[in-house]
Amino acid sequence: MTKEAMTPDETTTENDTVLEIEDFSVDYGWGDSAVRAVNNVTLSVRRSRVLGVAGESGSGKSTLVYAVTRLLRSPGVIAGGRARLTFDDPSSGDAKRRTVDLLAASASELRSIRWSQVSIVLQSALNALNPVLRIGHEFDEVLKTHRREMTKAQRRARAAELLELVGLNEDRLARFPHELSGGQRQRIMIALALALDPQLVIMDEPTTALDVVTQREIVNELAQLRARFGFSMIFITHDLSLLVELADDIAVMYAGNVVEWAPASDLYNTPRHPYTLGLLNSSPPLSGERRELVGIAGSPPDLSQPLSGCSFHARCPFAMERCASEVPVLRELDESGRKVACWLHETPATVPGALRRRVPAVAVEDPSSESTKEVAS
Amino acid sequence: MSAVRLPRSPKVLVGAGLVAFFAVLTVVGPWLAPYNPSATSFPANLRPSSGHWLGTTALGQDIFSQLLVGARATMIVAIVAGVVATILSVTVGVAAGYLGGRTDDGLSLMSNVFLAIPGLPLLIVIDSYLPAGGRSNSFVIGLIISLTGWAWGARVLRAQTMSLRNRDFVEASRIIGESRFRIMMFEIAPNLLPVLASSLLFTILYSIGAYVTLAYVGLTSTAVWNWGTMLYWAQANNAPLANQWWWFVPPGVCIALIGTGLALMNFGIDEFINPRLRSAGLSGRVRRASGLPRRPRLGYTPVARASAARAAKVGAQ
Amino acid sequence: MSDAQLEARHLSRHFVVRTGHGLVRPKKVVRAVDDVSLSLHARRVTAVVGESGSGKSVLARMLARIVTPTSGELVLDGVTIPPNTPRSLAYTSEVQLVLQDPFASINPVHAIRHSLERPLAIHGTPKAEIEERASAALARVSLEPPERYLSRYPHELSGGQLQRVSIARALCVNPKVLLADEPISMLDVSVRLGVLNLLRGLCDNEQLAILYITHDIASARYIADETIVMYAGQVVERSEGTALIDAPSHPYTQLLISSVPDPSDPLRQAPEIEDRTGQGQFPTEGCRFAPRCPHAMEVCRTTAPPLIEVASGHESRCWLYEDVAKVAITTRGQGGTISTT
Repeated sequence: MTKEAMTPDETTTENDTVLEIEDFSVDYGWGDSAVRAVNNVTLSVRRSRVLGVAGESGSGKSTLVYAVTRLLRSPGVIAGGRARLTFDDPSSGDAKRRTVDLLAASASELRSIRWSQVSIVLQSALNALNPVLRIGHEFDEVLKTHRREMTKAQRRARAAELLELVGLNEDRLARFPHELSGGQRQRIMIALALALDPQLVIMDEPTTALDVVTQREIVNELAQLRARFGFSMIFITHDLSLLVELADDIAVMYAGNVVEWAPASDLYNTPRHPYTLGLLNSSPPLSGERRELVGIAGSPPDLSQPLSGCSFHARCPFAMERCASEVPVLRELDESGRKVACWLHETPATVPGALRRRVPAVAVEDPSSESTKEVAS
Repeated sequence: MSAVRLPRSPKVLVGAGLVAFFAVLTVVGPWLAPYNPSATSFPANLRPSSGHWLGTTALGQDIFSQLLVGARATMIVAIVAGVVATILSVTVGVAAGYLGGRTDDGLSLMSNVFLAIPGLPLLIVIDSYLPAGGRSNSFVIGLIISLTGWAWGARVLRAQTMSLRNRDFVEASRIIGESRFRIMMFEIAPNLLPVLASSLLFTILYSIGAYVTLAYVGLTSTAVWNWGTMLYWAQANNAPLANQWWWFVPPGVCIALIGTGLALMNFGIDEFINPRLRSAGLSGRVRRASGLPRRPRLGYTPVARASAARAAKVGAQ
Repeated sequence: MSDAQLEARHLSRHFVVRTGHGLVRPKKVVRAVDDVSLSLHARRVTAVVGESGSGKSVLARMLARIVTPTSGELVLDGVTIPPNTPRSLAYTSEVQLVLQDPFASINPVHAIRHSLERPLAIHGTPKAEIEERASAALARVSLEPPERYLSRYPHELSGGQLQRVSIARALCVNPKVLLADEPISMLDVSVRLGVLNLLRGLCDNEQLAILYITHDIASARYIADETIVMYAGQVVERSEGTALIDAPSHPYTQLLISSVPDPSDPLRQAPEIEDRTGQGQFPTEGCRFAPRCPHAMEVCRTTAPPLIEVASGHESRCWLYEDVAKVAITTRGQGGTISTT
């Protein structure tokens, strides 16, 4: 099922933002020994849309979302910026929109928002589910905490309903986590995340530990659920190909910075940042001619060492002198709203051919070719 | 080994300080003692005074000298017992954990037996069979104390070894053809150092207790001065009843202090093993100035005060 | 094609497990690897593709002889290895295994030098030459200058570098066969190609026979000279080169390939996958993939199919191709009767 078919009825306002993050920075530690894990990130998630966040280890993608929801563990510290969550609040009587400043909220307010408005699916369900409690107990806890008016029977019914949503039989409620497969556990995490009908679901590498067939099943499930309930999603992964299928917009992160932000198919067909280009070239294709690919030289940087200039310049095939000393800013590329943080795009003269491509007329242009001349659209 | 960064929390520093102090005392104690601790030439039952800082015993011996000289025997026995017991527990624990099968069954049985037998009665029984010469030898006493102190560490090390045994680097060593002995000795054991250190400290602590108890009960030779013997004599002469606190309180306090020091150092090792127990190395003042809470709260990531102005909760749109 | 360096003939590995929780716990046989044969040749990469539970890791360990097969035999350089003998040092110096997690497979308390010196010392390198040979091994995996790496500790290196060290360690003994169990799945995406290229280079330039085990079929396609797909402990499809990826014949392979996200082919339909119950339970009779197969026929549930040739150098374990077989269907003791046409 393609993404397009699943987009829900968009009668809601176009620029309706669920989560807004501005100039957000996160450190590990404090003072001289602080390591900057997330650096001045600005992102937004619109209602019923999927934002994909792609990056490797050290990119800060997980740190970002955990910090925004104030779930980051010590020694993480939010060093600056703003994060606001907007949602419909039925409890305020007239179903008005409410915006909460996540960084200023009190602990109790965060607790009431968490899970009812924003929920998280973690990477390894085996680690997230309590191994000595039955699955039914987990559902019971969640529902008891947030929906006190429900009776035990109602909770049980709701749990069964949720399991059915993700394609599992009700009898799973009586099992322990270790009795289930990885795919089933992950579905239970998704069901738990949807228990209170949140506006935003954050998924941190939910399918990385699963095999590709189970991953496909779960991705299909998610598409159906999104069509049905219309929640927004932030999907974090290192698998860019998966994001291109799944996400509406993609933010590529490297060493704590967002280096490119674009609609998914634009990012795939016409990458503008050298790192995005390198990442796309790092996945061997399933079809077409077998050629030697290069990927990206070097390895992701050690964030505890101070970096000067662009964090990617040491590995960038197009690096200029400027890149070693000045940190590029995430800037809009053109009217389409695409953003990129790269000095190469300051002037038309410095943009290399591979990063200048328009959408090709024929859909099978291989992005790995360095010598691609500009293809007029 | 790569550089080992010890935690700098106050607990550990205090503990290390105490232990260092007593270690020094072990070495220089007898030289610092003003008088011969066995000399009965002084007036009996004197209160603490400038001539006798801790007074004298019922027999007219200087208590302060006894304390200083006694430190040596107490500490030496404890260290010998701790080291020997730790060596025993490493050998038995790692072998049992790694080799498995019947070797494990046999060694575990032996450890369990030694664990189950009550330590003190066993010590008393063994000790009572020692010839008089043996009883006055610190090393011999240390050895028999170690016999009752090794089993717990062996169990812990066995469990750790069993979890390490399945790690990839052990499998990789097997793949390149390393012998079992070398794997246990050079691949697994170095990974157990933090646990070993903790076990050693704990065993020394236990040994001090065991030795003092043996001496208090009168089973060690009274020719060798140690804190337990001081307590023995104090008890024998009804010092508590006569309220002669200067006789039994000082050795008791010393035992308590060295025990506390070792326990505090053990905390430090626990924090070293489990990094999450470490506070992120921030002093209280720095934390408060930057708006960070003293104790990190789970589910409430702190926001640095210096961040941009936070708008109050925005009302309904 | 040159003679096989290492050949596996009908390797099987069964585990007996106790199931259930009560006082009576019936035993069950888990057939982790069931009658797998393959051969590894110099200057060729053989890729084995499978999910977790397919038996691929157990197969690798049997080939490295750190797991004993329940049945079947190994032939190294034409010499059959007697089945119940312990692994010899000579075998270790010919066949080496590289593990999946680079951070876990190198002892964290020793410097890199130690990890490279041990295999050299064990296999009789004179002390004077050890440092030189260790440096040479690092050079072979492009970690240069070697001095910079020898004195470092594992936590100071990145995942990609550590995996290269792991490969260097295996190369220290100059093996003829290198088995790699998912060597890149724990590495960052941008680093994976470097290690894949390294493996391909070692194969081409140094006459190694390489077994590359993975769950990522795209990476298999990148370097394989022969591709094998495993499911539930059996080989379900095998082909020269990557023919089975371009034209998959077995329903499982088809499912696998269509499940991989491939944005360059947006019109490809994602497959409708039947809901699977009883995870990890494979039927004891008939084809193991039948419960999930969209083309399952009556015969599939009763009789296990053999490997049937569907094209030159391309075999598939599926009854769909029974009529396509031109040559007599090879019987390999699959259980159940097989009728030859």
